[in-house]
Amino acid sequence: MTHETYLLDRSKLADSHTLEVARADGAYGALQKVFESSMSPESVVGEVKKSGLRGRGGAGFPTGLKWSFMPNHETDSRTRYMAVNADESEPGTCKDRILMREDPHCLIEGCLIAAFAMRLDAVYIYVRGEYRLPYDRMQAALDEARAAGIIGDNILGSGYSCEIHMHKGAGAYICGEETGLMESLEGKRGHPRPKPPFPAGFGLWGQPTTVNNVESIFNVPFILARGADWFRTMGTETSPGNFLCGISGHVERPGVYEVPLGISARTILEDLAGGIWKGRSLKAWFPGGSSTGVLPADMLDTPMDHDSVKAAGSMFGTGAMIILDETASVVRSALILARFYEHESCGQCSQCREGTEWQEQIINRMLSGQGKSGDVELLVDLSKGMFPGKTICALSDAAAIPVLAAIKHFRGEFEACISSPEEILA
Amino acid sequence: MTKIIVNGREVEADPQKPLIAACHEHGEHVPHYCYHPGLSVVGSCRICQVEVKQGEMPARVVAACRTPVAEGMVVNTESQGAHDSRRECLEFLLKNHPLDCPICDKAGECTLQDYSFQEAQAEGRTSEPRRKLEKRKDLGDVILLDQERCILCSRCVRFMDEVPKSPQLCISGRGSHSVVETWQDAPLTGNYQGNLADVCPVGALTLKDFRFQARVWNLTRVPSTCSECSRGCSISVEVLRDGEVKRMRPRPNEDVNGYWMCDHGRFSEGELNRSDRMGPAAMRNDAGQLKAADPHDALRVVRNLLSIQSNALFLASPYLTLEEGEAFSQLAKSCSTQAAFFSPEPNELGDDVLHTGDPCPNRRGLQEAGLKPMDSEEWAAASAAADCVLLVGERLLDMLGDEALDALPTAQRLVVMECRTSNHPAIDIAMGVPNRVERSGTWINVDGTPGAIRAARSAPQGVRTIVDLLESLTSASGQPEEALSS
Amino acid sequence: MALTDALKAEFDNLCTKYPHRRAGLIPALHRCQEELGGWISPEIITDCAEYFKLEPVEVYSVASFYPMFFLSPIGQHVVSVCRNISCDLRGACEITSAATEHTGAACGESSKDGRFYLEEVECQGACTNAPMMVVDGKYYEDLEPADVARILGEIQ
Repeated sequence: MTHETYLLDRSKLADSHTLEVARADGAYGALQKVFESSMSPESVVGEVKKSGLRGRGGAGFPTGLKWSFMPNHETDSRTRYMAVNADESEPGTCKDRILMREDPHCLIEGCLIAAFAMRLDAVYIYVRGEYRLPYDRMQAALDEARAAGIIGDNILGSGYSCEIHMHKGAGAYICGEETGLMESLEGKRGHPRPKPPFPAGFGLWGQPTTVNNVESIFNVPFILARGADWFRTMGTETSPGNFLCGISGHVERPGVYEVPLGISARTILEDLAGGIWKGRSLKAWFPGGSSTGVLPADMLDTPMDHDSVKAAGSMFGTGAMIILDETASVVRSALILARFYEHESCGQCSQCREGTEWQEQIINRMLSGQGKSGDVELLVDLSKGMFPGKTICALSDAAAIPVLAAIKHFRGEFEACISSPEEILA
Repeated sequence: MTKIIVNGREVEADPQKPLIAACHEHGEHVPHYCYHPGLSVVGSCRICQVEVKQGEMPARVVAACRTPVAEGMVVNTESQGAHDSRRECLEFLLKNHPLDCPICDKAGECTLQDYSFQEAQAEGRTSEPRRKLEKRKDLGDVILLDQERCILCSRCVRFMDEVPKSPQLCISGRGSHSVVETWQDAPLTGNYQGNLADVCPVGALTLKDFRFQARVWNLTRVPSTCSECSRGCSISVEVLRDGEVKRMRPRPNEDVNGYWMCDHGRFSEGELNRSDRMGPAAMRNDAGQLKAADPHDALRVVRNLLSIQSNALFLASPYLTLEEGEAFSQLAKSCSTQAAFFSPEPNELGDDVLHTGDPCPNRRGLQEAGLKPMDSEEWAAASAAADCVLLVGERLLDMLGDEALDALPTAQRLVVMECRTSNHPAIDIAMGVPNRVERSGTWINVDGTPGAIRAARSAPQGVRTIVDLLESLTSASGQPEEALSS
Repeated sequence: MALTDALKAEFDNLCTKYPHRRAGLIPALHRCQEELGGWISPEIITDCAEYFKLEPVEVYSVASFYPMFFLSPIGQHVVSVCRNISCDLRGACEITSAATEHTGAACGESSKDGRFYLEEVECQGACTNAPMMVVDGKYYEDLEPADVARILGEIQ
């Protein structure tokens, strides 16, 4: 199968992370074009809006629209920031690290274009603390770029100035939530903030801020270089462009593959990832990371784009497919995820703090042969109490959805834990 | 002001405050834990759910503490959706909460109890083991922490940060492993710790002073004013079965103390419960003993004394009310002199939170009533020269001290109208009076704001009010002795 | 004083990136843990509190929130095995068992000889290269159980 690629093209070159190789390959050409064609910041926002690019961090919110929420600089003179969300902690997701590690200059270029478009004063790239190599590669690239006059004052002689700084997280998943990220960046516990107010009105240190995922920003130089119309030739009408699909779990060739949005999940699994490993068959699959509801095998022909996966009863999320074969226990997967959300809940909201613990306790009992009649109904009911939109942030929803989806499609497995505990323990 | 509709009624809402404040101000109660009108808003407990409809948007259930009011907003605090949401939230909170009610001081004024019954969420479905944490964590002289009861609303952390501006508490850990604690279990410090037990919605932070002292439904609560400095914080005096004052707590008063009081005032109830109270009257007999006497007889003797003395000293306790001060002033005038009130030295407790550092709760009131302040030095000089001294009011003997009485001339007649009993040989006539929780009146605070004190319990048997005693002296004074002996 | 002059100079430079100094706290705690014994000691907390003009209780509250900070002393080499779903599906349990066997440490504990601290962690972002472990901050991916002994054996 062939489709146009752009995201990972440069990373195939040796030393693609160096300024020399990147520049020879066209890095900073889009930025230069923006300056040379005298595009206004507002028209850059317009181009990104026109492209239809949707956020690649999980929510799929239109990026250009988010940029346009920044206040009018003529009436609001506060300091303006972007925070790039490189916290990448959604289970199954491992794409942003590749982009930062292999092509940091493209991300920097995207940041500069975004900074120009939104008239930013500074950009912070918040990288999860465990990503040492990606962080170091980004820092080295920033240093190279600064030395070459690409960051700082009078960028490429344009008269525009902007700073980009790296910032390190310390291992908490909740810091990937945009307001949790801002709290953490400010040096506090990563407690998400209630919205409203939204970051564009009250962000970092109370100033207007936009938070974008790494892959979202990574797309920006291509959109500005080749045009919004070009971008729309890939993907679907409502989910244009390519995305990096990480496919993991019970497959022959787990990996991160660049594919257009709208491609069938089956194509990714069978053609790119080599199908289910060890000659087995598919039992269940997560379309886009652990927070998206699991789907049964008979829904594998779902196109991988935001609207189609939603129509299938799940979510596109980060596009990270996790594959379970026929021998896998859906209940065990539910436990692993319940344990994850319990570990990561920040603890502010009653439903999330207590609910994630409760989910884990019940599923744990079920898998230890101590399930009780009524446990499945209780699990469903308490999970429903955790969402939608009842809490400050969506971690509570993210914890509830996988449990509800697993029970919806594989209820029998859960019931069997209770009715036949000896089989589970075997 | 913004017009909104709450439960069918159009009301005016302050756009600077969240929706929950507007609901409360108009008598529509919305359950809440983390929200407190005197602290910053976090919106984490998630129980303040109300249904809101705006314009053409469908009705939705939201957290009232994080919802700004908007013109024309229609609010229903009693919708099915709101109640369902609150019930869910309560079940989650009760999942780990220990069933300590029978031994918890907060029972009876615990909003976890109250809302559970209001929302009909008294039964939980959990059979999971509850979190085992520290139940009697000593946080110093004032506060005991039970981490198991804590619902992690963060009010205590925010209180310390925002009111005394002394960060000492934190939430540590994350998620269901979070606990409230101090750094290295250090004891809390400062003069505002008692407020932590008030802001804690449950029995996690409790007062050592009140531990197991009383069931709150057996307490009679009377609104009054604190006596320990000239701030005059509005308080509630809480008495057990017309007996001991078991505790005092702040009452909200946006003009004086907001929602708080200091520990110095809060824990001053000990003095109110002392048992060495002066009876209705006692007089020194020929054998030189101070013996119980009929109050009428005692008053007659006092009147006689006042009418024949030429240099009487009238000294009031700084705890006298405005009304008592006026009566005392009249009495002194009728004896051709000016009354005084004992002016205690300022102390070191003054801060920029509430405490003024002036131990006198009614300095302005007594001055308004025409009394002049008299400190220890002035007292020493005046009492040495007087032929008759009338001391009126509680705690005056303690403030003057026994040495002050020792120094009095033997020929001098000393009349004491006090709360505590005394056998000091200088005293000729003693009459018991009610203390500040046994009588009513007005104190004027440092800013000129009046604060009422009110009787929260009965005075000792037979003891008459100060105003009563002073007026009966005034009406008869100035008349010759013959006319009085009947 | 645990904070060295060198670290303070580093922090002075670090804090220039932010409009408010406190934003440097978490990167600073990382550096303290790296340079001053592998854990965040009470002394580090009080020193950082002084440096960032906070109360120790506030620094403690922040440090205790983040899984990467250790608030008690641990073994010299930190071995973290991912236990999340993609790794679990590809044999993370065997990796953990192998690591337990080789280090002599139970999960969440340090080995008796103090050489290793073993922990299970949540998703480390190497899902397509599962199972994996992190040793002293370095990622080791696409593991077979036999790799564990070899990798840990090479640690000095």
